[in-house]
Parts: sequence; structure tokens; C-alpha cells
Amino acid sequence: MQHDPLTPTKGERSTSPEGRRLDRVTAPLDVEKSALQADPDAAVSGLSAKAVEGRSLRQIAWMRLKRDKVALGGGIVILLLILIAVFAPLIVKLLGHPPNDFHQELLDPTLLTPKGSFGGISSQFLLGVEPVNGRDVFSRIVYGARISLLTAFLATLLSVSIGTVVGITAGFFGGWVDGLISRLMDILLAFPLLVFAISIGTVIQTANGSVFGLSGTSLSVATLIFIIGFFNWPYIGRIVRGQTLSLREKEFIDAARSLGATNRHIIFKQLLPNLAAPVLVYSTLIIPTNILFEAALSFLGVGVRRPTASWGSMLSDAVETYQIDPVFMIVPGVALLITVMAFNLLGDGLRDALDPRAGR
Amino acid sequence: MSRIQLVRAGSLAAVLALGAAACGGSSGSKPPNNPGVSAAYNAAIGGVVNQSTKTGGTINFVASSDFDSLDPARTYYAYSWDYQRIYQRTLMMFKPVPGKAGASVTGDLADGPGKLSDGGKTVSYTLRDGISFQDGKAITSADIKYALERSFAQDVINGGPGATYLSPILVGGATYKGPYKQPAGLSSIDVSDPKKITFHLTKPFADFDYLMALPISTPVPKAADTGKNGGANYQFHVVSSGPYMIPPGGYSPGKNLTLVRNPNWKKSSDPNRLALPDKINLTEGLDSTDEDQRVLAGSADMEIEGTGVQQDAQSKILTGATLKANADNPSTGFTRYISIQQTVAPLNNVHCRRAVQYAADKVALQFARGGPVAGGDIAGQMTPPTLPSYKKINPYPSGSDNKGDLVKAKEELKLCGKPTGFSTKIATTNKGKGPAVGEALQQGLARVGIKTQIIAVDPSTYYSGVIGLPSNVKKQGLGLAVAGWGPDFPTPYGFFESIVDGRAIKPEGGNSNYAELNDPAINGLIDQAQGETDATKRNDIWAQVDQKVMDSAVYLPFVADKALTYRSPRLTNVYINDSFGIYDFVNMGVSG
Amino acid sequence: MGRFIVRRLIGVVLLLIIVSAATFAVFFLGPKFVGADVARNFCGRVCNQQSLVEVKAKLGLDKPIYEQYGAYVKGVVAGRDFVTGTDTTHCSAPCLGYSFKTDQSVWFLMKDRLPITFSLAIGAALMWLVSGVAVGILSALRRGSFFDRAAMSVALAGVSLPVYFTGLVALSIFSYKLKWFVNVHYVGFTSNPALWAKNLLLPWICLAFLYAATYARLTRANMLETMGEDYIRTARAKGLPESVVIRRHGFRAALTPIVTIFGLDLGGLLGGAILTETVFGFPGVGKLAYDAIATQDLPVVLGVTVFAAFFIIMANLIVDVAYAYVDPRVRYG
Repeated sequence: MQHDPLTPTKGERSTSPEGRRLDRVTAPLDVEKSALQADPDAAVSGLSAKAVEGRSLRQIAWMRLKRDKVALGGGIVILLLILIAVFAPLIVKLLGHPPNDFHQELLDPTLLTPKGSFGGISSQFLLGVEPVNGRDVFSRIVYGARISLLTAFLATLLSVSIGTVVGITAGFFGGWVDGLISRLMDILLAFPLLVFAISIGTVIQTANGSVFGLSGTSLSVATLIFIIGFFNWPYIGRIVRGQTLSLREKEFIDAARSLGATNRHIIFKQLLPNLAAPVLVYSTLIIPTNILFEAALSFLGVGVRRPTASWGSMLSDAVETYQIDPVFMIVPGVALLITVMAFNLLGDGLRDALDPRAGR
Repeated sequence: MSRIQLVRAGSLAAVLALGAAACGGSSGSKPPNNPGVSAAYNAAIGGVVNQSTKTGGTINFVASSDFDSLDPARTYYAYSWDYQRIYQRTLMMFKPVPGKAGASVTGDLADGPGKLSDGGKTVSYTLRDGISFQDGKAITSADIKYALERSFAQDVINGGPGATYLSPILVGGATYKGPYKQPAGLSSIDVSDPKKITFHLTKPFADFDYLMALPISTPVPKAADTGKNGGANYQFHVVSSGPYMIPPGGYSPGKNLTLVRNPNWKKSSDPNRLALPDKINLTEGLDSTDEDQRVLAGSADMEIEGTGVQQDAQSKILTGATLKANADNPSTGFTRYISIQQTVAPLNNVHCRRAVQYAADKVALQFARGGPVAGGDIAGQMTPPTLPSYKKINPYPSGSDNKGDLVKAKEELKLCGKPTGFSTKIATTNKGKGPAVGEALQQGLARVGIKTQIIAVDPSTYYSGVIGLPSNVKKQGLGLAVAGWGPDFPTPYGFFESIVDGRAIKPEGGNSNYAELNDPAINGLIDQAQGETDATKRNDIWAQVDQKVMDSAVYLPFVADKALTYRSPRLTNVYINDSFGIYDFVNMGVSG
Repeated sequence: MGRFIVRRLIGVVLLLIIVSAATFAVFFLGPKFVGADVARNFCGRVCNQQSLVEVKAKLGLDKPIYEQYGAYVKGVVAGRDFVTGTDTTHCSAPCLGYSFKTDQSVWFLMKDRLPITFSLAIGAALMWLVSGVAVGILSALRRGSFFDRAAMSVALAGVSLPVYFTGLVALSIFSYKLKWFVNVHYVGFTSNPALWAKNLLLPWICLAFLYAATYARLTRANMLETMGEDYIRTARAKGLPESVVIRRHGFRAALTPIVTIFGLDLGGLLGGAILTETVFGFPGVGKLAYDAIATQDLPVVLGVTVFAAFFIIMANLIVDVAYAYVDPRVRYG
């Protein structure tokens, strides 16, 4: 193929779309011309300048985010969800019933579905009751938020931590270290993740007693976090590596090096602050994926151990009855939808705020 | 119970007691001659719906999963045993009739029940004339001997009950390893006359006829069990002996099984089978809800597993008069119960076990099984109502509403020295209704402070390696185990022997006496019942066994199983066979 | 380019070895970890110590793990022999072994179910690629319009909806309430093409919806970015008609990342159709894997895992090669 004469000269270093897009995450304003002035290579000429740089970036991003009403909406929903998760016992005490209590008097004895229409929704049972056992759906949704957010946040934290450390190591040291780590990431990305996750989940489900001092629900949650977090780090790792590679060549790193800065100083004081933005954006975008992943595993019966409520296992229970009791399917589905959408909205907004070139 | 819900497992040793009484049938017994009944709710329980002798047409059956195996030596699913009767013949067979008579046996390849001599230690059968395999080759007694020997080869073709039944009762059976390793065969099966087969037993075994009605006596030609199509692969190349056979390419495991007429089957040789349809299609691997839709819409005729319809179909059937007239709600003969393990503290204390008996919420457990229609009736005892020894008792009444007697439960906890409750684990399967039952039990017990953790395991390991392995139960501390049991033969002995006889405990695995009940008084009663010839007195003894088992509180029965099943109005000769607890496929036809 | 491909192919083989070894490890060490014995799953209900030993020997589970793995690799590369009791069957390369549970050849089991998974994956992929890219381009070109905002809102909902929810909702509405699609089950393409397509339509749409949303968003973002590039301005300045600018320059550059992601998604989908197949009850490769995992039927799990990994890796390779063609900036030496 012919070399296109119109090929842009910018961003030649990176071949991945993410790399290209996130090349200059610190460029602040709409106006492209001014972006150059805020570019790290131009702005950061001395070691002390980074504090100013960091704050100004944060301020600018916040200013942009404040203007993005949709993203703010997402953020508010997330905040509410976190509050719900944290105060689940209190909320359930005020508005619901204990999440594992049966209320079979509310069910039709032959069909085992809720009496009354709309899945048994009433002033007592705000989102109706579960078929077969009559548990309070509202309480289970509230407690389900705990599992959902806890696993997603911690799994994201795990993959971001590993991904950042490994990505920086590969990008900064290059050479055989980079080669080795890149191959390792290739291998992990080639794994049929879901098949593996189900395999490990199955083994852990049947685990008896304690493994690593954990048992029961906490063991299954810890396993979920590990599976989701561990297999996802290469995604972050690749991005961080690409970023590090391009940052390494920038003048401010060279300047620091020529001033006699140690590797440690460069990594912690120069690279990390500049990586914060893309890592933050990708974390926000990985959280919803992780929420869906947890729900999928619980849906397949290898997630959180019963009777702990999880949105995924509620959907799985709803499969049995959704033709005659669709409400019990819709409620956890919508809870998932709202949560995932809120994170996606916020993530999009953050990306736009931190990187105007991502397009809007 | 059996490995999965569908398996009709039970007595693993002798079924001595009821033998003589149940051995009905004679040479030349006729096809179903019961008065036909018209379609109505539960009409196929005890009656023949759409009685007909019209031949031709195609039956379309559906199933959600594949048979455990088509190899007659390996299969252990009730519906698989029932289905094989369509195209395979056995030495004896369960009578193809509705009602109580269906729980007795009649001659199939044999011309009648076994003739006893040598004080019951020799049993011999004479084969009918005109019996042949699908290739036209005559079936000889050597083919049946070879088939029975195969079932000993657990290293190659494991899964079936043959070896466990036969090894203790056939002379030399205890050390026999099957024809692949010991081609000389078992000398205690005498086939010197090709028309006659004679068994030499280690002890009298009056229910030998029942044993010969199981698929293990399906003849297998040795020539077909060699090479790459033999041994473990025979299940994909089975040779048929009945009116139908599998055409080349007719079996695709997990997808479909086609049966066409076997041209070499002679009606004159088979008084039990009508062989009405020209073709029988079975579509496997369907989603359960999808199966129901097809059967209700008429694009399929029947679901063969007999576990009952899903909730959506259930609501349609019970609320629509036309559909309801084509449905039945038979008792399957299974008792659903929780095994309370004596080896796990504090359940080694009878009062703690009784606390569990009283605290359980039986309504919740019944709902978890599917409710009164799809699940069954709340049970207070182990004996299922289908057995002749059934006498209603309820030693641990769970309150007027059946939701548990918490006051009594707390009293028992005090006696046990655990007034505030204790912690233990609930083992259950992770498929079907297993998780729901575990949660229902957990919730009921939580009300008196008994805290539990649910361990959900795939059914394939659950019975063999988790609760069927006594050392594992103890090691993992599985105090409570969700279980179910139905007999291989419809007799009290067949029901109780494996689950309450202390001598039947298998410490190495494959144990069915999950609670490891070993009470000399109960063992003695079982022996006494085996020796009792009077049916009424025998049933009284079995009722005592039931009472004693409940006194020990090691089993918490909660539901006597029922299933809501649907039959297409176009099917003829439809009835529930009591020996399987599901529809009898052997003589079904289609009206149009 | 040739050398690049050869080098990558060697990498593919290495990757497959690592993936299969890891699967072996998980399946052998996992049960040991929690104190279970895999052989018991295949020992039948009447399992005693002796039959357990025999079953172990039959399945080869009595040998140390590295020997078993060695035998497996040998089977894949050069074939191996299996004893069936009456005969020794030679399983020629690439031999994936026989199912512990059903004794069927793993290759046969997969071959049997592949058409289902392929039908599902390829149909859905075409659907999401075409609709996602089209919506993305239109949205980008009419940025800020009602269409753009509506399409992006739907897309946002799309990426937030798992197939196990949309699948149930779709079945509930179109199958049970409206009865447009009754008895949704897989029908072979060769036996009835019309019914094949009709029954696959709901799963296609549900699966495609999820991905189309991602593609629309991605295409739009890329398009907007590309159209803002200097060289597009140059092209416009040269006086090229807008349609030519879009088609020749904008579209092509915007398509590059789409190709990457499409290859990866498709590769991953073939191995990970578990959820869709579970929801719609299609007995495909994903369902096969799921069932095999439940019973710890190692040869089947291994077969599907290696096969799925193979697809992901091949997709990667094809993407890299295609990339070189689509994006002239990339050169492989």
C-alpha cells in the first residue's frame, strides 16, 4: 500500500488507537492551539513545576466536568449507589425486610409466584417479592449493590495496581524487560477469560472450610475480585506501557535525567503524575465492565455464594419464572443498567474533560 | 437419591422380601387389556388414556439432556430404563400396564418367571422361540450371559448397577472382573443349552426376576462388542433386540435419537409389545421451557424425563381446562429429605438432630421443591405413600401451619446443650432445585439460632464424592445434606435397604446411607422382614422400621414427590407405569 | 511481512502451549487445592475404592500431571492410542482426546457444535459491524443533531446492557407475549435456512446490540478525531468534494481501530459465547464448555479452551496483518 502523503505527523510513535488518543491527555482546552502551551514538554521545564501543572490540570478538568451535565448526573447516581451500599442495613431497616427472610404467605401456593400484580409490589414490599420464597426484592437489590460495587471497585483497584506497576516497568526499562512483559500480557489477553473464570469459580464454589483464612461468602467475593482483577490488568498494563514509552522520550524526562535524577525519582515524580489522568479515565471505564462481569459469573452460578444477594444471581433465578413474573427479571436488570450506565457516563465525561481530542 | 433427580436408584443388594408375591405374569400374557379411559386430569394414573391398536405414524419425544448411556450395562436413569424398553428386550420386564400391576414383572425374552431349585439357589429361564437381534441372528442364552458379564467390567463401562447387584449373589461374582479381563466368563451362569439360562446363586434370592427386568439383562452379541465399536464405545453402536432399532447415524448424543422398525423382530415372539408407530424421534438437549412450549403447542408429543413441566407451562395447564385434561400429577415414589449427619458434631446428639427436625420450615422446603403440585405433598416420614407398607406417621409435627415448631426446637436445643443454637454446613446440588432447598432449610433453621453455610456442588460429584463418601462428610463437616430417594424396585426393601441398613454403609464411597445409620434394632427388623412370608405382617415390620428411623432423627423427610406431566392428546395407550413413576413408553402410539 | 508472519506463528504455538498448560494446572491443582478427586465424577454412583483406581487408570489420572500433559501434547502433535477395553483405538493428530464423561471424541463434540457457535457469532458480528459503523459515521457527520444525540443515548444504554438481560427481555416480549418467535431453538442451516435465520434473529440482535453500541461510539469518536486532522483540512483545501474527503481519507483512517477491535471481539466471541448460548439454550461450543466445566470433564474443557485461545490469537495475528494494509503508517520488518 502506498504511503499516504496526507498522513499526520503527530502521534507516529504509537500504533494503538488508545495510545494515539491518550498521547496528550494533559492538553487542556478546546482550542487546539493553546493545547501546545499546556503540553507537558512545553510547560514542565523544571522539577518544581509539576505541582503547578498537576493542580492546573485538575482545575481545568473539573471546570470541564462541571459543564458536562450528563457526566455529573452519572457521578451523582454513583454517589447515591455508594451511599446505598454503605448504608444498606439502615435503608433495609427503614424501608424493607431482612434480605434473607422468607414471606411465603405472599405467594400463590400452586404457581409460587407473587400474589397481586406487578410482582407483588406494595407499600410494604417496594419492589415486590421473589417467587418461590417471597424474599423482599427491594432489600436484596440494596444488598446486591454492596456486592456489585465492592467486587467491581476492588477488582479495578487490583488490575489498575498491577497494570500500572507492570506497564511502567515495561515502558520505562524497555529492552528485554519490555519484551518479556509484553509477551506475558499477550498470553493473558489470549486466555478465554470467561472459561477460566468459570473454572476457578466452580472449584471455589465447592471449596469447603477456609482457603487463605476465608470461607463462605467472603471467600467467594475474594475469588471474584481476584479473577476479575487479575485477568484484566493487561488492558491497563498495555495503556500504561504505551504512555510511558511516549513520555520517556519527552524533553522534561530528559531534563530531569540530565539534572541527575534517579530512576526512582523519574518514575514516582515525573511519570506517575502524568499517568494519573489516563489511568483514572480507564479505571472509571473498567468499573462498569467489572460490574457486568461479576453479574455474569453470578448469573452462571459461579459468583457470590448463596444466599448472599447479587443482581446476577437474581437474574439467574428469574429465568425460571420470567414468563409469568417478568417484574422479578426487570428489577435486577434495571438496577444493573442504571449502575453501569452511570459509570459509563462519568467515565466518558472524565475522558472528555481530561482529553479534549477524544472527540465529543 | 439417585445421582440426579431422574435416576431411580435404590436397593443395591437383594430384594428378597416381596419376590414371590410380585412375580406375576406367565407365558403368553397379553398386551394391556385394561379398560381404556378418556382424557381427564390424572386419568393416566391407573387407566389407559386413548386405548388403541392403530399402527403407523411417528412419535416425537423431547428431552432436555442425553441419556446417561445407551449401553444397557451402564444406564441408571429411570427414564432411560423405561425408554430402552421400546427397542431392547430383557430376560424379564416390568409389566406394561397401569396401576399396581405395573410394579410386577413378566417374562420378556424368557417365557416366564425363573424356576427355582436347590432350595432357591438355582434359577433357570427358558427363552422364547423366534427371538433375534436386528441383523436377524437368533438371540441365544450366551448373548444374555455375555451381557450380564459385561456389567462387571467397571473399569471399562462403569455407571450401571449390575456389578453391585450381581457380585454378591452369583457364585464367583465377588472376584469376577468382566469379560474383557476374564474372557472365560462366569461359570455360575450356565448356557450349555442355547435356549436355556441357569444361574447358580450363593444364597436364595427370591427377587431375582426383578433383577432380570433391569437393562443389564439386555442381550449383547459378543461380536458387536469388539474392536473400536465395542467396550466403552458400544453405547454408540448398540444392537437392538426389540421391535425398533437405531438406524445408521440415528444417534447423535445430546441432539437426537431416531428409532425405526426392526424388520427382524417377530410379533409372535413378543406378547408384551404392540409396536404401533413406524418411527420414534427423540430430540435431546432442549431447554426445559422450550420443551414445554413444544409439547403444549403440539409440535412434540411428550417430555420423557418425567420431572414435570416448568412454571410457565404449569400455570397454563392448571388454569386451562383443555390442557388440564391432558395432564397428570403422579407420585413418583421419591421421598425428599435432609440427611442429618451423626458424624458431625453437635449433630451426633439426638436432641440437636430433633431440634433441626422441629425447626425446619416444611412449607418453605415444599415451595423450594415446586409447591404442592409440581413438588409434592409435605411428608412426615420416610416411606413414600406408593409403597404397600405406608402407614401415616408424623413424629416431629412442624406446627399447625407446617412452618416449624420453634418452641419444641428450642427445648431440644436446650437438651442438646446448645440453647443458643450452633453452626454447621448444608450440602446441596448446584443445579435445578438444589440451591432453593438449601436456602429454604437455612432460613428455617436460622430462626432458632442454627447458623448454616451452603455448599453447592455439581450433581456429578455430589452423590459419589461429596455426601456419598463418609470420610469426606466428616472431614468437611457437612452436617446437613439435601437428598432424595426412590427404589429401583417398588418394594419397601428396595427403598430402605441402602439408606438405613447399617451393613450397607460403604466407607470407600458410593454410600447411600448418608447419615451412617447403624442401629442393631433396625438391622434386625430388616432381617426379620426378609424372612416373613405373610405380606401384612411384613408390611407391619416395615412400618416399624419407618418409625425407628424417624426416632433416630437422622433423616428429615419433607416432601413425597409428585410431578405435573403433560401428554399430547394425539398419543395412544398412555399410562403411568408404577415401577418407574413415569409414563410407560413401550406401547405408545399415535392417533393421527 | 513474510518473516513477520512466520515469527508470529511460532509465537502462536508457544502461546497455545502455555494456555493449555495453564488450563491443565487449574484443573488439576484446583480440585487438589480444595481436596476433591476428579476421578470420582466419572466413577458412577456405585463407586468403591477399587473401581476408583480402575477409573483413574482408564482416564490416565493415575499418572503424574506432567506425564499427562506430555501425553496430551503428544496426542495433539502426533496422535496417541486409547484403550477402550476391547480394542486400542488410535486417535490421529491433532488428537484432543476423549470426553471423560461420554467417551466421545472431543474433536467430534466440538465439530458438532461449531456450526451453532459460528452461526451465532458471524451473524451477530456482521450485524453489529454494519449497524455500529453506519450509526457512528452518521452521528459523527451530523454531530450535535437530534439523530446524533438519540443514537448515542441508545448506544450508551446498549453498552450497559448485558446479553443475559436483553436476551430474557427479548424472549419475554417477542417470544412469549407477541409470539413472533416461538420455540426459539437452533435449526441447522442445511436443514432449513429460513428457520435457521428466523431462530437466530433474536440472539443476533441481542448480541449485536451490545457490540454495535460500542462500535457506534468508537466509530463516531474516531471519525470526529480524524475529521479534525490537518490532512483532512488539507484535502478539503485542495477542493476535494466533501463526500470524497469522507470516503477516501476520513473513513479509512477512522476504520483502522475498528478493524483491530473487530478482530479481537470476533476471536473472543467464538470462545466466549457461553452467556448467549445459555440464555437462548443453544447447544454450541460455549454451552459445551460450561457443561464440561461443571462435571470437570477435563479433555473437553481443554479442547474448547485451546480452541478458543487459538481463535483469539489468530484474530490478533490477522488484525496485525490487516492493520498494515489499512494503516500505511504501520510497517513490519
